[in-house]
Amino acid sequence: MNRIIRKLFSNTTSLIGLILLFIFVIIAIFAPYIAPPLFASDPYQIPRMSWDVQPQPPGFPISDDIRLIYDSLGQPIIRETAIFGTAQGGYDIFYGLIWGTRTAFRIGIITVTLSMFIGVVGGSIAAYFGGWIDELLMRITDIFLSIPFLVAAMVLTTILGRGLDKVMIALVAFGWMGYARVIRGSILCVKEEVYINAARALGVKDFNIIVRHLLPNTIFPVMVQASMNIGSMVITAAALSFLGVGAPLGYADWGQMVSFARNWIVGSPGNAGEYWYAVFFPAIFIVLFVLAWNLVGDTLRDILDPRLRGEL
Amino acid sequence: MQNDKNKILQVKDLKTYFFTENGIVKAVDGVNFEVYQGETLGLVGESGCGKSITAFSIMRLLDYPGKTVGGQILFKSEDLLVKNEKQMRQIRGKDISMIFQEPMTSLNPVLTIGFQITEALEVHFKMEKTKARKRAIELLERVGIPIPEQRIYEYPHQLSGGMRQRAMIAMALSCDPVLLIADEPTTSLDVTIQAQILELMKLLLEQFSSSMIMITHDLGVIAEIADRIAVMYAGKIVEYADTRSIFYSPLHPYTFGLLTSIPRLDMDIEKLESIPGIVPDPLHFPEGCKFHPRCVFATEKCRKEEPPLAEIKKNHSVRCWHIEKVEQEAKKISFTGRLTTDG
Repeated sequence: MNRIIRKLFSNTTSLIGLILLFIFVIIAIFAPYIAPPLFASDPYQIPRMSWDVQPQPPGFPISDDIRLIYDSLGQPIIRETAIFGTAQGGYDIFYGLIWGTRTAFRIGIITVTLSMFIGVVGGSIAAYFGGWIDELLMRITDIFLSIPFLVAAMVLTTILGRGLDKVMIALVAFGWMGYARVIRGSILCVKEEVYINAARALGVKDFNIIVRHLLPNTIFPVMVQASMNIGSMVITAAALSFLGVGAPLGYADWGQMVSFARNWIVGSPGNAGEYWYAVFFPAIFIVLFVLAWNLVGDTLRDILDPRLRGEL
Repeated sequence: MQNDKNKILQVKDLKTYFFTENGIVKAVDGVNFEVYQGETLGLVGESGCGKSITAFSIMRLLDYPGKTVGGQILFKSEDLLVKNEKQMRQIRGKDISMIFQEPMTSLNPVLTIGFQITEALEVHFKMEKTKARKRAIELLERVGIPIPEQRIYEYPHQLSGGMRQRAMIAMALSCDPVLLIADEPTTSLDVTIQAQILELMKLLLEQFSSSMIMITHDLGVIAEIADRIAVMYAGKIVEYADTRSIFYSPLHPYTFGLLTSIPRLDMDIEKLESIPGIVPDPLHFPEGCKFHPRCVFATEKCRKEEPPLAEIKKNHSVRCWHIEKVEQEAKKISFTGRLTTDG
């Protein structure tokens, strides 16, 4: 374990990834200070800077209409200008991205943890008990694998209705199969080891054999996969939001920010890059976030892959 | 010593078959033997003769496609074969425990030695952690591992092969088992370490007053430790007697062959004898006596009829049609040297 941490910090690529992750963690933790919410009870609602349909460029000052509303509510105005500009509908891009970092972590970590849990439980039961249990569980896995991920997630989200929790349910429901397969493969291999029989010969319960003896020997490839999947889960969630089946309108979510930019990717005639900020800022957050996880995941894989051991 | 009262284990007509795609493999086919209180039974035979499968059948640790299809395994007069998995689990490690062949692979690489020893104690006696750790240290001390208070926090790769096997023995003895099954416990160790481990096992068996089934292909090992020996060939016992009789007056040609193929220090032999041929394919056992294709004494009768395991003398059973011939042949060569130099 110490070796892994040392390697992660001594390797340049993973160091970049770790630094990026660290920055995102800081942003997520200090979101209330970086972008103080209007109402503490509902910080994920992106405040509007104006009622404009068109995006407005960085540095755009808060409009008089909105100023009036603040005044009538007796709320102080914290941000006079939109640092990254506003998206379609006058939503503050900066605010959306800062609070969206929390959403991204939440989506990534919750979906990956849950799907890893389901996959690991299913895969290890299938591998350990074998026979018809294995057959049944793995055929179910195959059925789930045969459905295209994005389509399945979209359909399920549409059925369940709009909302981030629904997106996460859909992502978990169709995201656990990879883990099940990986853990099954490793356990099938380790199960034949003498020490597993030795543990059985000592009278250790099946549950404890799986949890204490098999999983510590087999969980690492799954964790590598999980760390890389956090990025792709966030992308998929963003894609669902972009397609309009994700977070509710105005919710701080990177996918939502990108989806706001959908009609403004190409600017007005003769000025194609007019609304660049509407696309650029949300996109760069997503790219860096996914990149960070992939860099860390890649290095983890290199460290844990015995064939590559010693070459780092 | 040998009366029914202190008969710990009785295996009756045990049949364990493997249901493979190519057909049924009769790995263990009608094996009978007993183990008495405090004694060591040697189970001897070549690789693939079914001795390990017998052990796994007793522990009920066989996985698909292996299945025990017949017989009885009476442990303290209760049949293990009718027990359910939960009852079996309470017996495994507590009443019957097992030592495996490879100390390199029989300890979990990611768990500390201490954890692996205390696990059985926690499972069977619900012992609390500190108490179990104390017991683990004491056990490691008894199996001759230096600085045990430190060793319990180490991982298997930090120990040498001999040390690991000692730790395995400590694990197996942790719950004071009635019966210990040792599956080639010294095979993968250096000869000097082998001797140490055997000495240790002998000593500990006495201290714990446990019985043991020692599985091995090494007659030197068996001579040293066993009270009685069952020689297995092709899933059946071919000769069953006390150690002395097996070594001094073997009556089965296979036992005879095994004994003559041991290197001797006391005699000037140019070339080592070997048993011709190979172990028969378990899917296609020969008809009649299964040993006949490799047997120098084989006759027409051997090819057609399988001999029964008959009690020739008191406590000496043999499965052969030509006992007299083997006996004569065995008389010509003294096997005493082997016993006295090695045993």
